[in-house]
This record gives sequence, C-alpha cells and structure tokens, in this order.
Amino acid sequence: MKAIIAATILGVIMMFSSILMKDKKAIITIAALLLAVLLGVNIWDVMATKKGSNFTFLFNNMILISREGLWFNMLMTGCTFLYVLLSGKDIARVGTHTAEYFALIFFILTGVYLLSSYNNLLILFIGIEILSIPQYILAGSDKKNLKSSEAALKYFLMGAFTTGILMMGVTLLYGSTGTFELTRMDFIHQSSVNGMSLAGIIFLIIAFGFKVSAAPMHTWTPDVYDGAPTPFTAFMATIVKSAAFYAFIRLFQNTFGGISNHWTIVLSIITALTLFIGNLTAVFQQSVKRMLAYSSIAQAGFMLFAILSNNAVASQGIIIYAVAYSVATIGMFAVLMKLKDYTYDGFNGLAKKEPVLAFVTTIFLLSLAGIPLTGGFMAKYFVLQAAIMQGQLFWLVIFALLMAAISAYYYFRVIIAMYFKQGNPELHEPLSSGDKFMLALTCVLVVLIGIAPQLFLASI
Amino acid sequence: MNFLLLAAEQNTPFNYLPIALQLLIAVGFVGIMMGATHLLGPKRRTKDKLINFESGIPSVGNARQPMSVKYFLVAILFVLFDVEVIFFYPYAVNFRELGQEGFLAVLMFVGFFLCGFIYILKKGALKWED
Amino acid sequence: MINLVYLVPLFPLIGFLINGLGWRKLPKAAGGIIGSIAVLASFAVSLGIFFEVKDGASQTVTLFEFIHSGKLIIPFAFQVDNLSALFLLIITGIGFLIHVYSTSYMHDDEGVVKYFAYLNLFVFSMLLLVLGANYLIMFIGWEGVGLCSYLLIGFWFKKREYTNAAKKAFVMNRIGDLGFLVGMLMVLYNFGTLTYNDFFGMLKGGNVAISSSTYNWIAICFFIGATGKSAQIPLYTWLPDAMAGPTPVSALIHAATMVTAGIYMIARSGVLYNLAPFTLNIISIIGTATALIAASIALKQYDIKKVLAYSTVSQLGFMFIAIGAGAYTTAVFHVMTHAFFKALLFLGSGSVIHAMGGEQDIRKMGGLKKHMRITQLTFLIGCLAISGFPFLSGFFSKDEILASAYANNPIIWACGVLGAMMTAFYMFRVYTLTFEGSFRGTHEQEHHLHESPAAITIPLVILAILSIIGGYVGLPEIMSEHHMLGSFLSKVVTNAESHHLEHGTEWMLMGISTVLALIMMIVGYVTNKKPNFAENKGLAKVLENKWYMDELYDAIVVRPIEAFSRFADRVIERMGIDGIVNGVGKLVKLGSDRIRMIQSGQVGFYIFVMVLGMILLFAIGIFGFIN
Repeated sequence: MKAIIAATILGVIMMFSSILMKDKKAIITIAALLLAVLLGVNIWDVMATKKGSNFTFLFNNMILISREGLWFNMLMTGCTFLYVLLSGKDIARVGTHTAEYFALIFFILTGVYLLSSYNNLLILFIGIEILSIPQYILAGSDKKNLKSSEAALKYFLMGAFTTGILMMGVTLLYGSTGTFELTRMDFIHQSSVNGMSLAGIIFLIIAFGFKVSAAPMHTWTPDVYDGAPTPFTAFMATIVKSAAFYAFIRLFQNTFGGISNHWTIVLSIITALTLFIGNLTAVFQQSVKRMLAYSSIAQAGFMLFAILSNNAVASQGIIIYAVAYSVATIGMFAVLMKLKDYTYDGFNGLAKKEPVLAFVTTIFLLSLAGIPLTGGFMAKYFVLQAAIMQGQLFWLVIFALLMAAISAYYYFRVIIAMYFKQGNPELHEPLSSGDKFMLALTCVLVVLIGIAPQLFLASI
Repeated sequence: MNFLLLAAEQNTPFNYLPIALQLLIAVGFVGIMMGATHLLGPKRRTKDKLINFESGIPSVGNARQPMSVKYFLVAILFVLFDVEVIFFYPYAVNFRELGQEGFLAVLMFVGFFLCGFIYILKKGALKWED
Repeated sequence: MINLVYLVPLFPLIGFLINGLGWRKLPKAAGGIIGSIAVLASFAVSLGIFFEVKDGASQTVTLFEFIHSGKLIIPFAFQVDNLSALFLLIITGIGFLIHVYSTSYMHDDEGVVKYFAYLNLFVFSMLLLVLGANYLIMFIGWEGVGLCSYLLIGFWFKKREYTNAAKKAFVMNRIGDLGFLVGMLMVLYNFGTLTYNDFFGMLKGGNVAISSSTYNWIAICFFIGATGKSAQIPLYTWLPDAMAGPTPVSALIHAATMVTAGIYMIARSGVLYNLAPFTLNIISIIGTATALIAASIALKQYDIKKVLAYSTVSQLGFMFIAIGAGAYTTAVFHVMTHAFFKALLFLGSGSVIHAMGGEQDIRKMGGLKKHMRITQLTFLIGCLAISGFPFLSGFFSKDEILASAYANNPIIWACGVLGAMMTAFYMFRVYTLTFEGSFRGTHEQEHHLHESPAAITIPLVILAILSIIGGYVGLPEIMSEHHMLGSFLSKVVTNAESHHLEHGTEWMLMGISTVLALIMMIVGYVTNKKPNFAENKGLAKVLENKWYMDELYDAIVVRPIEAFSRFADRVIERMGIDGIVNGVGKLVKLGSDRIRMIQSGQVGFYIFVMVLGMILLFAIGIFGFIN
C-alpha cells in the first residue's frame, strides 16, 4: 500500500528531474537512488505485515493486501533495481528523454503493485492499463528508428484490441455475478457455473494470454520485442510479464479456482500451443534478440503450468519462476546490449575476447534452459511438480519436457558460438569493472536461486 | 401495448422486446430514407459534378500533407485536461455530502494534474514558436 | 575427536585440490610435500579417533542431508566404529609411507604433482568408502577409487599398452560395480534404506517378511561387486595388468587398500551374509579357486611385479576363503597383515626396479644382495612373512584362515595349504633370483646398481617392522587367551557361528602347514640358486601363459561383444538411431521454418490469428461446458 503511493510520487519526481537537470549520468544516479528508496518502502511494507497474517482490505475492498503479494512486489522491485544498475547506461543511450523513461518505469511498477493487490475487476483493469500504456511509449522511444515506431504502433493497436476483450470479460462477469469484487464472487463454493460467467472467464483468459504472450495471442511478441529498444525489451519481457502472470494466477487460483474444471482444458490447449510455437519458432531465428523474444514465449508456456495446476506449490512456483526467469533474462539482455551485432554470429569468439562476459552469458543461458544448479531448473521443477500434483496434466508435462529439450538447442547455440567459433565480436564499449561486478552478482543470484530457492520464498 | 407491460413484470428476455422494436424501427427508418433518396433523386453524372467541391475554387495539390505535430499535441492535451475537469461534475453534485475529506481528495487530484500542467509547460509542449 | 572425523577425508581432498589445480605451476617438490602432509594429517586424526574408538566410543556423524526424496532419506554420514577406525589407520598409515616413498620414486617424473594429486584423490575416495554410513556413500568412494586406479594405472599414458591396462581395469571394475549397484537397489527396494544401522537392525530384528533367496540375491550381487574390486575369478585379470602403473601405486592401491575394499564391504555386511549361507559357499569356492590358480600362475612369471600381482590375487583369495567360512574378522586380520607385507614387497620391488633402471625381468637380476642391503633384508622379511614363517605376521593370519577353513570344510583347508606351499615357493624363487646368485644383467646396469635413498628405505624398514610384529594383535587361541583384534572388531562384525576346533587339532594343522611352507621355502631357495631359464614345456608353459586366461576371455567375451558392437554401430546406430535423431532434428527445423511464417508482420493478420484462436477456444470451452 505504501509502495503504490511511493511509486507514483517517485515517478512524478523522476519526471520533474528532467526539467531540473540535463546530465544523463546524474539522472541515472537519481533513478537508482529513487529505486533504492522504493525498494526500501517495499521491504518496510513486508516487515509491517506478520508472517502468515490475514489479508487487509483497503479502499472499500478494492485492494487486498497480502503478505505474499507484498513479497512479490519486493522481489520485482529488486529485479527492477538490478535491471537499472545493469542497464542504466543503455537506457540513457536510447534517446534524449532519459528521465521520462525512468519515470515510466516507476509508473509501470505502480501497475505491478496494483496487479499484485487488486480485489476488484476494475482495479485489475486499471492496473493492466497502467502497466501497458507506459510500455507502448517505451517501445516507441527510439523515435528515429522505424522498427521501434512500428513496434509501438503494433503493440498499441493490439493492446487496445485486447483491452476491449478484457473489458468484455469483466462486463460478462459483472453481469452474471452482480459484483466487481472478487472476494464476493462466489465461485469457490459452487462447482457449477453459468454460461455467461464462463464466457467472461474465457475472455479474461484471452486477455491475460495476450499480456503474457501465450499462443495464439502471442503474435505481437516477436515484432515488439525485436523492434523495441533492447533495454526496454528486457524490462517488458521480465518484470512486466511476471506481474501479468501474478495477476493471472491470483484471479484464477483464488477466484476461479473452484470451477477450474471448466477452464482447465482451454488453458491447457493454450499452454501446449505456447510451448510448441515458442520453442519451435525460436529454433530457426538468426538474431539472438528475436530468439529471446520467442524464448520468452516458451518460458510463458512453462509459467502457464502454475496457473493450470491451481495449488499451493504453483503459487510458490510462479514466484520462483518470475524471479529466476527475470534475473536470468535481465542478465542476458544486459549482455546483449553490450554487443553491437545481435545475430548468433555476433557472439562468435566472445569467450576469447571477453571471458567474463562469455561465462556469465553461459550461466544465464543454462538457467533459461533449465539446467540444474541454476534458478531456471528450480523454477521449472516447481511448476512441473505443481502440475504433476494437480493430477491430470501428465501428458502436458511430458510434452513440456520434450519442448525443453528443444529449447536447449537454441540456447546452446549461443554458447557454442561463444566458445567454439572464431570471430571478433564488437562491443559498444569495453567492459568496465563495475559492469563485470554487476554481471557477476546477477550470475551469483541465478545460482543462488538454483541452490536455495527457499530463500526467495522464505517470508511467505 | 398492454402485453408489453405485462411482460415487463416478469424477468425474461421478453423484456427486451421494446428495445428490439426500437432498433428495428431506427435501422429501418435510416435504410428506407437512404434508399428512397437514392431512388427518387435526379442524377446527372458529368465530370464537373464528380470533382471535389472546394468553395468554387479549383482544388490544388494533395490533401494528405504532413502537418506540425503541435496541432496534435495541443489537441491531445486539451482532451486530457478536459476529461480531468469532467470529474468536477460529480464532485460538484456531492459537494456537501463529501465534506472536508472529499475536499482534500479533490485538492489532491487537482494537485496531481497541476503537476502535469507544470510539467508540460516546463517541457515546452505548449510553446507554439520554436 | 570423533566429531572431527570429517577432517580425515578433508585433508587429502584439500591436497588433491591444491595439487590438482596447480599441477602446471607448483614446483615438483611441493607436490610431494603437500600430498604427504595431507595424508599425515589424516593419519594423526585417524590415530586419535582410533584410540577413542578403542575405549568404546563409536557413533555415526551426520554431516548433512544428501538425498531427501519422498520417504527416502540418505544422509551424508560417516560411520565411526571399530571396523572403519582400523581401516582408517591402514589407509592413512600405509598411505603416508607410500607418499613419502613416492617423493623419491617419482622424483624425476614430469607429472609428479599430478601424480600426487591423483594419489590424494585416491586416499580421499578410499576414506569415503570406508567411512560412509550407508551403501551410497560407500559406492561414491567405491567409484572414486576405481577412477583413481584407472588414472594411476594409465599414469604413463604415452605408452599404449599402459592405457589399455587402465581401460581393462576400469571396465572390469565397472562390471563388478554393476553388481554392487543392483544389490544396493535391491536393498533399497526391499528395505527402503541404505543406512547400515537401519538395514542391519532390520536384519537382526528378523521381522522382515523377505525370503532367504532375496538375501542370497542381494549377497551375491554385493559379492559380484567385490570380485571386481578385489580381483577374484572371473574378474581378476585386470590386476596383473594394473602393474603398468608406477610401483608405489601398485603397493598402495593394488595391494594394500583398494583391492581389499571388497573384503571390507562383505565384512561390513556380515549380518547379511550370515543370513545367506548359500552365498558363503559360493564365496568359499571362488576364493579357493582364485587362491590356487593365481598362486600357480605366479610360479612361472618372470616379471617381478607380475609375481607380486598374482600373489596379491592369491592372497585375496585366501581372504575370501576366510569370509566363506564366515570368519570376517580373520579376513580383516589378513587384510591388515597383508597390507603390511605386500606393500613392503611392492615397495621393495620398486626399489629394485629403481636400481635396475626400470628393468623388471628377474631373469636379468641376481646377486643384488651385495649392492642393496636394506632392500634385500626387508624384502626377505616380507617373503618370510607372506610365506608364513613362524611368528611373523603372515603366519598368524594365514594360520587363522586355514583353521577357519578346516572348520568349514577340510577340502578347502587342503587347497589352502597347497596354495600356501606355492606361495612359499614362488616368493623364495623371486627372492633368490633377485638377490642371490650372480648378476645376470648388462654391465652398464651392474655399474649403476646402488642402494635407494632414505625416502625409500625408511618406509621399507617401517613396513618390515610392522610385518614382523603386526601379527601379535591376533594371537591364536592356543597361544594366548586374548585375540586382541578379534575382540576389537567383534563389536561391529559378527562372525558366522562355526564349530570350534579342538586345541590339539589346531596345533596339528598349524604344524602341518608350517612345516610344508618351510620345506617349500627351502626348495624355492635351492632350486633357484643356480637358475636355468630353459623354455618351459607342458604345464609350466600353460602357467607361464597364465592358463591362457586372457586368450580365453578374448575368445568368449571380447570378440563376440566386439562383433555385436560393430553390428550395433553399423546397423542400429547409424541407420536406426542416427536416422531417428537426425530426422527429429530435421523435422523440428522444418516445423520451425513453417511456423515462423505466421510472423508475417501484418497487424491485421495477427489480429485475425488471435480472433481465430479465440473462436476456437470459445468453441472448446463452450463444448466442454455443454457436456
């Protein structure tokens, strides 16, 4: 609750800092400081609630504060902080309005906080809009670049379309239940459901599916992620997506969990399609950035398992997955930003020229591929375990494992390029020791999640 | 119209019959009128008749020319602030009931968009001359 | 002190890490010093532990939870009790002496630091094997020692035949390991635990509804593991070939420690074997056969290390005879004495080989007594000990084995005595050919002969002393009321019940075997004093060629397998599996190529796809709803 207000005010402060100062470095510093403050506020929020305490309702039951949600907020803010420390310089390189970019990131965080605490479909709607609109701007922030503008426009058009679908879902649910308030919707206790509610739920699945780039609503993802300036792709693909997933699971586990038998089949088809399309299409890509876009679709397929499985392990799994995936992807994009050439060939011979960079990249990729001892493994382990516990998804788990095997191909291609091919990769600027330190830290985090995932669930 | 009123007392899809009738009449009216003018009106298709009419002056060049983004900017800012001001209407209606707390809330609201206003001013969004 | 047990394997591990990571950079001398100190430190801790255990303390030290999966919990725990404490002493004590020896022996080798890294790793693995409180930890050590054995046999990897020997050892060990693994899985399946205390507790409790054939199967599987590691028929042929490694390695791994792992494992599982008498019979037969065949081969070998190698196989056979009779403590007793005198003999032979400039053929030696007094004396003590000369260590342990064998089955006893006679003969043959008579090598070699430096002779002397007095911890009942080792081990190891021999019988048995051994020693000495190396004929030729065992294995195992693997390679692998794998890969790429066409870049098309998907999902959702 404090964090929601703080994020808004800090965003406004960030906005005004562009008027007061022009120096980009100073702006990055201020952004990092304000984010640190925000992280502090988040930690304060978490500390203020007791472990295992009940929910608190605010604003006429519109907002529901739970320990888990606050913990999620804190982790995501932490990831954002890491992201700004890693990629602050690259954000500044995108265009002239550096302070505004950071301000937009703060506003997105406001959206994240709303999505982790909504108890009302209207707040969900507002949260998703607050989350999305800054992204449209960020996607088009490289104004002189045609691809960036194209990405923004596409994203905006399709996003607007989905907003309509989301609204439709909300409307139908309101129509059938007579309330926007989730805790008053009585799906948990009844096993049957009327057609209007089901239609509303399917609309919501589609709208959420769009936000988390699940097939067949994924079509925007490759173009937008590829076209948008790389630093913002990194943000969109990680924190924003995780938040959308968290909102997704909250709604479907807490509110619609009781009638899961009605929507499981739809969602499992979406999951299978997402895994299939994401992994298979990634194989053919020549650009690492575009490959990562498809990989983010594929990872979304795994996260969908958490929603499908609808149990306690799943809600832990989504948090671990969100963190593990975010950290590794942020790291991977940070590496990508250092390079001039985004194709696989651009990575050729990186291990000789920048061994540290190549090594951390390897760790990030291993994590994305889900190799043990990395966060990615634990994340996949949690969600698949949840799916097995659910009992009816065994076929999908097998399918997912097959797809994970395919994913190893395109992740390892980068590793092979770095270590076994000759070439002279060009960097924007030589790696500073600060960069190296931050990358190493990210690396350590990835491994830490893989070794001690309980640390990241400790306080729920 | 007795049977319509009767139906309204029950909660059935039948209640929507008046709306359906209304829709039918509206669409029908528009369709009939347009079709009628099309059929009845005299038509003489000469070249002069078909060119764009611009106050009697011969048209020059293409209409689709880029124009300064400032027009859009001002227009969009207008819409933004206009919409914000609309919030005052419900507040004005409930002014007394909301009391001091309501006043503070609206003050905060105004404060926020004042921030926005100062921001766009400082950014030079409303500066017409470069 | 017992709580510090983790230090025992930790020191060699640290030594391994330092030497292993820095082997390119560290100076040659540093490797030996680091390696030796690491083992010495372990020895010191082991000593402390031993005395505490002797006073009655024993416990299981759990370091951390290793595997926790459902009901299965396998802790990473060390079992500190009388049996493991004894083995700790043998491993670290002899290990230290051999490390010291190696500093001199391997002095000129280029990879000496790497060598010590391997050696430390071996000691670490061996300690893990002995200390583990469940079969899994033992298995980790078991595999670790196998790996180190492989690395060290092939240490001079530039010679093709050496690497082949290493491979052979590894493969044969793996066959045995498979047996061990299957046994472990059977234990896990039937008892749900791998921890000794739980497992043996269940066995002793007797309230497990498991048929005796299951016990036998488990016991046989474990024994198969033991035949691999402890070089018993049919998996013994790797051990003679393993002599390709540096001599200290042969002494440490292939005489004193690793090859006794099988004995340790069975002694540890004594409770299980007592329930599986059928398996004990098999062990008796295999042990006896191994003891005899290996001893007979040793009669006609000319390579000094080969003789010792077959002698080791034969002695291991003796230990299995004891196990077959259910006398596990006796087997452990022989493990200990054997570790002393066989390490001594190997190190002595190393000293000889060192002096001879790498020559191992005893036909080219002779008369070395004049040049290397200490080596000769200690070697002689080793020979006397292994041959069962009265009141040396081997005498007591061998006598105990034979007594237990007699109690079990007099035929086995007779075979054992025959084996002991052959042992006495070939040992004295080797001794005489090497040290007595006149020198038969080249002039240059003779000029070069010298006594080895102190780093080599001191371990020899220490081991010689141990070979002399080592037997007194296990005086037989007829000489002393108190069998120290037996009562020390009895807390942990439960011997199978056997009928006691009468004192008179025991005296008689001892007398017969001793006299026969003494005669054979003299025969060995006399016949070889003036040697005649005519070409062997008849049985002798068969013996020289090791009963054509290698050829036999080659014909019935290796070649059919090779033929099969050629078939598998050409037909199954290249056509079948490769086809499928590459086909899948191609299919994925093709699919990828097709699917990426969805990504046309047209927003209109994207939304069309989305709406199409929506309609389909709705259809499915509503369909499910109606049903």
